[in-house]
Amino acid sequence: MNKRLKLLPLVLSGLLLLAGMSPAAVYADEPYDVYNYDRWGEAIPSQAGYTAERSISGRDLGVGPMEEPSDLFCDHEGNFYIADTGNDRIIVADNALERTVRIYGRFTMPDGSETSLSKPTGVFVSEERDWLYIADNQNSRVLVSDKEGNVIMEVEKPESDVYDQQRTFLPQKVIADKAGNIYVVLNNITTGAAMFSPAGDFTGFYGANRVEPTAEIITNYIKNIFRSDEKKASMARNVPSGISGFDIDGDFIFTCSQSTTQTTDTVKKLNAAGKNIFAGLELAFGDYTPMYDTAHNKLMKPAIVDIDISDDGSINCLDRTTGRIFQYDEECNLMFIVGTKARQVGGFDTAAAVESCGDRLFVLDSAKDTITVFTETSFGAIVHEATALYNDGYYEEALDPWYEVLRRDGNYRRAYIGVASALMRKGDYKGAMKYAKLADAPKLYDKAFEAYRREFLGKHFGKIAAGSAVLIVAVTVIRRRKKHGTAAAETEEKEE
Amino acid sequence: MMDLTQRQWVKHAVTHPVEGFEDMRWKKSGSLKIAFFIVFLLFVGQVFDGRLYGFQFGVPYDKTFSIVPYLVKSVVLFAAWVVGNWSVCTLLDGEGTMKNICIYSAYALVPYIVQLFVNVLLSHVLIRDEAVFINVIRIIGVGWSVILLFSAVRSVHQYSPGKTVFAVILTIAAMLIMLFLLVLFMSLVQQIWIFILSVYTEISYRFRV
Repeated sequence: MNKRLKLLPLVLSGLLLLAGMSPAAVYADEPYDVYNYDRWGEAIPSQAGYTAERSISGRDLGVGPMEEPSDLFCDHEGNFYIADTGNDRIIVADNALERTVRIYGRFTMPDGSETSLSKPTGVFVSEERDWLYIADNQNSRVLVSDKEGNVIMEVEKPESDVYDQQRTFLPQKVIADKAGNIYVVLNNITTGAAMFSPAGDFTGFYGANRVEPTAEIITNYIKNIFRSDEKKASMARNVPSGISGFDIDGDFIFTCSQSTTQTTDTVKKLNAAGKNIFAGLELAFGDYTPMYDTAHNKLMKPAIVDIDISDDGSINCLDRTTGRIFQYDEECNLMFIVGTKARQVGGFDTAAAVESCGDRLFVLDSAKDTITVFTETSFGAIVHEATALYNDGYYEEALDPWYEVLRRDGNYRRAYIGVASALMRKGDYKGAMKYAKLADAPKLYDKAFEAYRREFLGKHFGKIAAGSAVLIVAVTVIRRRKKHGTAAAETEEKEE
Repeated sequence: MMDLTQRQWVKHAVTHPVEGFEDMRWKKSGSLKIAFFIVFLLFVGQVFDGRLYGFQFGVPYDKTFSIVPYLVKSVVLFAAWVVGNWSVCTLLDGEGTMKNICIYSAYALVPYIVQLFVNVLLSHVLIRDEAVFINVIRIIGVGWSVILLFSAVRSVHQYSPGKTVFAVILTIAAMLIMLFLLVLFMSLVQQIWIFILSVYTEISYRFRV
């Protein structure tokens, strides 16, 4: 009996231990290790900003399985437009992605005849006109129709000298700006997106990528001076990578390029004139150091296939190689990395399109034929709030959210910068120095230190000046004495 | 005349770039103990310079810390210089012994070491805009040391200025060759070590089974 009683506390404490451990084991984790990058560009564990909630197939929407869907668009009313490429239709689902609102497969032409889609690969809905823009790939046209399915116009291969007539016209993605200009991404064009006026007339190309000036290109250029024309014709040409996806946010168009061999212009922010605002900044998108894929013996270089701008201005880049979404803030600072290549919910096979709606992220997989819904975690919400405040210049208001971020993830570098900036604004220079040091941000530290030094000197200048004056006097007196002493000794010696 | 203690000789050599080392040679002065202490200070100075710099002037990579680069930058480099200079100048009719080369070269490094310590201190007081002070002090320190080193080589071997330049260039070449051989040797030892290790593991597996 006694023995049993003695054992009881042991058993109890064991049970308690088990209870303490179990939440970690039961906790619904992502099917991947959540990570972020530190100042040194090294991957470190991090908190998840988004969590995969569920994945939706065509059957869940009640329209039968989708086949190689390639585009997803969330319009201003919150409805989702899915380009179901293999089934030649556009599916419209409600905001919760629970039921189908409408299916577009056939359209009425202005002359009353009917027309159907053939492999539509892109869909866009303009807020201003409430029109559908469909990249009707195999029909070589962009179809513009109203919501009732009445075709307003067809944009076909331009008969312009600027457009090489030997090339086909296979629209991949389409968007329209506020003014109604239509931008079309084409498979086989590397000189940018084809741009059409609101009336459907070809006006030129927009936002061509640049060629990366590698050493190989420069040597080829020099060699080409001596090469014959026949030889030149058989050489591989140095062409910029084409645009593979884009999104429009107010006055700016963001483009991305899925080229794995070129790193220039993978993500661009273009203004109305087609000038890249990110061009001068040295930005890297996707994984800094590509993972080595041992199964296929190759580097998993990022291929950013689609880009999306959230309502708060965050930039979501979808990398097909790793199945990851890289979310950046307006200033292109990495916030979160979401997703992976896996069979579970939250993993992708061939990720094709990313779309955001409110605080949710949606990823379309053209091999799994599903849409995966990611919801923001509470950590993600705080980071977004703090980032938005910080980027708008409300440093002090962002202080509390940043502290909260640090409480949850002490590795989150942006939070240290945010806190340091806020403390700096508040006049707590010592604190700003501390946090700038933790953030490994020398320039910020420099500013804080400058202010701190000014303050310190202002307070203690009297003491420092008095102290140094006393020191100088003391040193000179001692020196003079020493000299006098030795000189006196020398004269004494001489006298002797 | 010139009855200085060993410590005063350091001061004399450093503050008299042209005649200091000649005087030292004439008086047969210079202490190996002080020379080694100076090399130790060089090592400490390099570590300070690498790790304790003011944060506003750059962030040290503090995930790992290896003492080896600092040892190479101070002790190994100095040893290579002394050995290289001795081997070159023995062939070029130099009069210096290994001991004297070591002492004179170490004394010549004093301004450089002082510069390291002063700059580490200054980097905690100055801001980025005032980095020019640090640069000026660095240039003075390095330049002074180079002049002293030249003067040291000249007087320890009793060379003409032209021959000194020639000897210094050859010494640098000898240092490079030595360091190259050292790296080669180290990789060879590593290979042998790996070979022995793999043989050992193989045999131990056999015994276990």
